Amino acid sequence: MSEILLEKIDNYRWRIPKSYKPGMRVDGVIYADEKLLKDIYRDKAIEQVANVAFLPGIVNASLAMPDIHWGYGFPIGGVAATDIENGGVISPGGVGFDINCGVRLLKTNLQYEDIKDKVKDLVYTLFSDVPAGVGSKGDIRVGSREEKQILIKGAKWAVEQGFGTEEDLECTEENGAIQGADPDAASDRAYERGKAQSGTLGSGNHFLEIQVIDQLYDRDICDEFELSLGQVMVMIHSGSRGFGYQICEDYARNMVHCLQKYNISVPDRQLACAPVNSPEGKQYLAAMRAAANYAWNNRQCLMHLTRKTFERVLGESWQNLGMSLIYDVAHNIAKIEKYTIDGIEKNLCVHRKGATRAFPPGAPGLPERYQKTGQPVIIPGDMGRNSYLLVGTEKAKETFYSACHGAGRVKSRTAALKSINLNTLLKELESKGIMVKASGRATIVEEAPQAYKDVNDVVDVVHNAGISKRVCRMRPVGVIKG
Amino acid sequence: MKNYEIIEHTADMIVRIKGRDLKSLFVNAGLAIFQISAEKQQVRYPEKHKIIITQKADDIEELFINWLNELLSLSAVEGLIFEDININEISDKSVEAVATGTDLRNYKVNTEIKAATYHQLKVEQIGSGWLAEVVFDV
Repeated sequence: MSEILLEKIDNYRWRIPKSYKPGMRVDGVIYADEKLLKDIYRDKAIEQVANVAFLPGIVNASLAMPDIHWGYGFPIGGVAATDIENGGVISPGGVGFDINCGVRLLKTNLQYEDIKDKVKDLVYTLFSDVPAGVGSKGDIRVGSREEKQILIKGAKWAVEQGFGTEEDLECTEENGAIQGADPDAASDRAYERGKAQSGTLGSGNHFLEIQVIDQLYDRDICDEFELSLGQVMVMIHSGSRGFGYQICEDYARNMVHCLQKYNISVPDRQLACAPVNSPEGKQYLAAMRAAANYAWNNRQCLMHLTRKTFERVLGESWQNLGMSLIYDVAHNIAKIEKYTIDGIEKNLCVHRKGATRAFPPGAPGLPERYQKTGQPVIIPGDMGRNSYLLVGTEKAKETFYSACHGAGRVKSRTAALKSINLNTLLKELESKGIMVKASGRATIVEEAPQAYKDVNDVVDVVHNAGISKRVCRMRPVGVIKG
Repeated sequence: MKNYEIIEHTADMIVRIKGRDLKSLFVNAGLAIFQISAEKQQVRYPEKHKIIITQKADDIEELFINWLNELLSLSAVEGLIFEDININEISDKSVEAVATGTDLRNYKVNTEIKAATYHQLKVEQIGSGWLAEVVFDV
């Protein structure tokens, strides 16, 4: 429970003044409405927003998106940008263990009526063909030389193996491979831990969902993206698996010692960091980028397995089924981006810890097809309610072009396990026309809709605050969990 | 009686562990990870694997985090669930131990614990015993 009284900036923004804790370099700003604020007050996330404001070189404010909740070090839903030329730091804790955890959204040319009787087949076949669960291993086995190629080429590696097309890469953040990745910055242990996990979903909140569009908001953009009511979509949520965990662990371990070396004072050792321009900062960035590329390749492989499953169950090629990628976006990452601060163009290190990049129309780095609309922003919700597609806006400059990344947990896993009955939950989901298959029964309960904020409330804030614009909403019909 | 308990945390997991001395605190914390995350099924792979673990750090908190993360990392890489830990030597700055585990296919792993973190970490001597509280990323 947090005791600070937040200052109201407007209906959707709340300030933690930098006077709240000696050592804060900037204010904290939380995006929320009064309803969501009640949940935010319940845990220690607000304190964590204040703690992030201690980071050397932080610019403007320590920001939090409306899905904010208690994490470790950074809050989940936290955004912090540091000025590289002014001693700005990079923190592995500001990215997290699951480096480049992210989502991708595919469309199909199918309507729900076309697959209504085949959802069960699709869910069961996806569950058997897409490796999921803790420590799951996939069919994609590569030697260490090939693994190094994955770390440099990202999703392009998968495309070169025939697991997708050039168009997929165009529709992936950084074209599926961020430059500056150094495979030699990854430890042998990281290679060992990541081996055989390419093309695996993982566990926890990671999922693969068959969804149906149930609400259109921006008709023009829906037309542009060729989206209509009742259309079948597929969403994939996964990250860099054991490879990313090990990179984070290796570098967080080192950076604890950088606090003293660079005379940095932070209230939580999990915020351990180093100047971006220091040898330690540069090395972490190179290793983090390698893990980010691992994740983009992983989601590309997962999409390939999904397309193959649809082909098998529906008896048509994925091209004929119109299974094109709309976009793939990271929500646990640090990126170097240019911003004009007080009239001066600066290179900032933007940490997005449970936050989605949301570039506006005309942004460099966006493919031609999204230059007019802005970047697709994909927001997964819980398995019983909705997920959203939005686009970035110019107003999001105030959040370093960032939006929320999901619904945000509100109930702990232990509380969920204590209060939710699995059979009742499955019946409830079934009555809503949602079929769930998971490798662990506990996972279904831990990930129950009741454990999350209502994503509709979260997206309302993002839309009303103007930091992204709603395009359409989906509801799940088939869910595969790890 | 369990020598650990799970405390509420919105997204992750806090575990409070007790030990009669530093050695047993480290053993109990290490074993707690696997008791929480894995459930023993029929033993199809009975062979026991022993792994020597040596960790060094600047202080007890760092040592505790490095120790837990090393166990998690080795478990993932070796495909083992650790069932027994013997600590040969321990101080505030180093630990030497042998961890014994069996194939993780003997288990159903329910929760993936990614790592131990420093957030709100406590490693304290209380009365005649030791207590630790640690947030795990799950």
